[in-house]
Amino acid sequence: MDKRMNRRECLRALGLSGLVGGVGLLGSRSAQAQRVGESSGFQSSIIAGRKIEANRGNATLAGGKVIQPRRELPILHETDVLVVGAGPAGVTAAIAARRSGARVAMVERYGHFGGLWTGGLVLLILGHIVEGRKQVCQGIGEEIMRRLDKIDGAIVDRRPGVNPTADAEAVKYVMLEMIEEAGVEVFLHCWGVDTILDGSTVRGAVFESKSGRQAILAKAVVDATGDGDVFAAAGAEFAHCSHNVGLVSRIGNLDRIDKGRVQEGAKPRRLGSHTPVPGVNWVNLTGPEVDGLDIKTLTRMEMNHRKFIWKNMQRTRRLPGYEKVYLMETAPQIGVRITRVLNGVNRVQLSDLKAVTQFPDVVGVGGSTNGQHGPWQIPYGALVPAKVDGVLASGRCISMNLDMADLVRLIPNCFVTGHAAGVAAAVSVEQNCQPRDVDVTKVQKILKQQEAYLG
Amino acid sequence: MSEQETTIEDRNFRRYQWFVRTTALAIAIGLLWGGSVAVPALSPFIALAAWLATRTFRVLTVLGLVVTVIVLVHPRWFCRWLCPLGLCAEGASRLGRRWGRRPRKSTPLGQWILWLTLGGALFGWPLLLWLDPLVIFAGLFGLTTLRSVPAACLTTLPALAVLLLSLAWPHIWCGQLCPLGALQDLLSHPGRRWHKRAVSTSDSGLPLARRAILGAAVGAASASALRLTGTAATRPLRPPGAIAKPEFLTVCVRCGNCIRVCPTRIIEPDLGRHGLTSLMSPVLHFQNGYCREDCTRCTRVCPSGALTPLTRKFKRRVRIGLPQVDMNVCLLGEDRECSECRRWCPYDAIRYVFSETEYCLIPQIDPAKCNGCGACEMACPVKPKKAIVVVPLG
Repeated sequence: MDKRMNRRECLRALGLSGLVGGVGLLGSRSAQAQRVGESSGFQSSIIAGRKIEANRGNATLAGGKVIQPRRELPILHETDVLVVGAGPAGVTAAIAARRSGARVAMVERYGHFGGLWTGGLVLLILGHIVEGRKQVCQGIGEEIMRRLDKIDGAIVDRRPGVNPTADAEAVKYVMLEMIEEAGVEVFLHCWGVDTILDGSTVRGAVFESKSGRQAILAKAVVDATGDGDVFAAAGAEFAHCSHNVGLVSRIGNLDRIDKGRVQEGAKPRRLGSHTPVPGVNWVNLTGPEVDGLDIKTLTRMEMNHRKFIWKNMQRTRRLPGYEKVYLMETAPQIGVRITRVLNGVNRVQLSDLKAVTQFPDVVGVGGSTNGQHGPWQIPYGALVPAKVDGVLASGRCISMNLDMADLVRLIPNCFVTGHAAGVAAAVSVEQNCQPRDVDVTKVQKILKQQEAYLG
Repeated sequence: MSEQETTIEDRNFRRYQWFVRTTALAIAIGLLWGGSVAVPALSPFIALAAWLATRTFRVLTVLGLVVTVIVLVHPRWFCRWLCPLGLCAEGASRLGRRWGRRPRKSTPLGQWILWLTLGGALFGWPLLLWLDPLVIFAGLFGLTTLRSVPAACLTTLPALAVLLLSLAWPHIWCGQLCPLGALQDLLSHPGRRWHKRAVSTSDSGLPLARRAILGAAVGAASASALRLTGTAATRPLRPPGAIAKPEFLTVCVRCGNCIRVCPTRIIEPDLGRHGLTSLMSPVLHFQNGYCREDCTRCTRVCPSGALTPLTRKFKRRVRIGLPQVDMNVCLLGEDRECSECRRWCPYDAIRYVFSETEYCLIPQIDPAKCNGCGACEMACPVKPKKAIVVVPLG
């Protein structure tokens, strides 16, 4: 409705300005352009002029040190549940919390949903199955995959016991659709940088964007940043870990390889795995084990990987028959696997996987890469920080032993922990208590209503 | 013994004996069926030959010693009261006689088997130890414990051969072929005149002493020859604690005890992949399981000392083999997400090291931590050829 009005206004403005332009009355045009966010009918127009104000709260150089003064931040929004990060865990958490009855806001650093699944081009859905091909990733994660099923060319290999591959753009679209349907307030291009603390309780998050530094107040925050930025800023205990940092790319024209000219034994490596797009493969890159929080390291990784990917493709193209293969794109997001790992009330560990431990506070069941392990339960305590209140972890930064890192960080397991964190956050708001004190049986009940699998 | 003259006491005694023997047979079947390992260890033949070959005393040997002591007092006590194979052979013999087959007097091969084996054992190679009746009987239970059908059929072959022989020539096994029977005869008459030619049996006519010396000498010579020819071309992976020497091939009696007790079922009988000498000996396969860090069962049930008993702590340092990685098939070489071998390694012996030249991760195994348990090979998701495979040492 709004959009149509806008368009009508826009058309009127166009006609008017044309008319005005013809007649030569320039005053009315500038009056139109003063309204922020509306088209003036010209390609660009001044929204507001800039006036220099005193005491703007800039960082200052004092005695060789850079000092950031105290300042008041504008409150952009107030909500029940704030989800920071819109990757697989964040999107699932936001939808789950909204469907559980809470008002939900979500901030995301990039301009799209899906995180490393889409922006990182990690298109393969690994880890939704366990021994015996049983799929343990159900609920909202499975709903996303079902919606992808309905779109032509959005997902392939959707068979029992097989790892499907999705198309990044289809995932971005489906997630957007679901977020809009659920009614989640979204803020894109917002980098969550700090938490708002009341004692040791998180009451919201501060984020940085083109609009400057602003705050969103919330009754419960779900940390779906992957790097644990929120709980770390809140002072929660965590382990700072290194893991492999890589960069994924997509290559095209694989259907135009001249098989007649391909020489035996000169097959190139790293042609990657197929995607729903014919002739296009996604190519993983593991990379060295480094600190994914160190900006110099990240920069170095990004540059080294880009050089390698380009040169490797040139090598491939020199092989007879492979001349038409080309590098389509490198992922917008660098592939950071594990950085901060929460020290939670409980933790996920390999010994429990092997012992098939049953937790009374189970909120999800994890799968493994090729279904080679049995189902492993995720206790609610693995999402709750040991000391800080008001925040829940989800995705790859939940509380665990590092021996489980390569399972926890898989996309379907992020769906599962995100789903649980979203529901638990909503229940904590409804019960007006801290996440650590929520009635887990209620969380389990809602999760089951939302078709999650709890074993 | 003519049937008409048997007194009531005789008949009662025979009934009693029949009852004890069938009970013993039932117990043996039950024990083997349930996976028990005590049955082959009862044999004094195995106890003696294994002790000669390995020069180590084992807990299970006590069973064999107890039987030995009884046999010293009561001739062929074991045959008369316990031997399960003997009872089966006797049944077959009776059937054979009913069909008109007559017993055949021939060379007491059992004695030759005995002397050959003991002579070889002195040099570490108890050549024909696998002809022990208890081992042959235990072989019947291959069908219940072995997953591979050809292996199961193969283990039952010696027992079937004994039964068929008994049908054709009644009483030939117990009387003339069984080395355990021969050993009991020897034990129960230690004072017999060794220089005198045997009267009752129409053998080659050699005095006992000469037979013993000749048999043992042939055994010793064969053992020495085997020792000189060295190891088989491809040495397979053996269970932990396996004696490193090629003598393993004959010290191992192929009783199947280790195969029966392995909780992860990684021990399988060799079906000739490593030469005829290795036939039916235990080899390890890590396709579906690995040698668990908390288990030493196979080493404790070996009746012949082919596997040295290990403690859990010591097993940690007993190396079965060492894994080798084939980067041509390893998923990390193609930059696929995989950390299975590292995750499963119970000893934290695998690291993934980034190679700047290959620009990928390469699994590296720390030989100081690894004991070749095969967890990595089991976990490797690459099919059909695993990317990480435990290979024998040296």
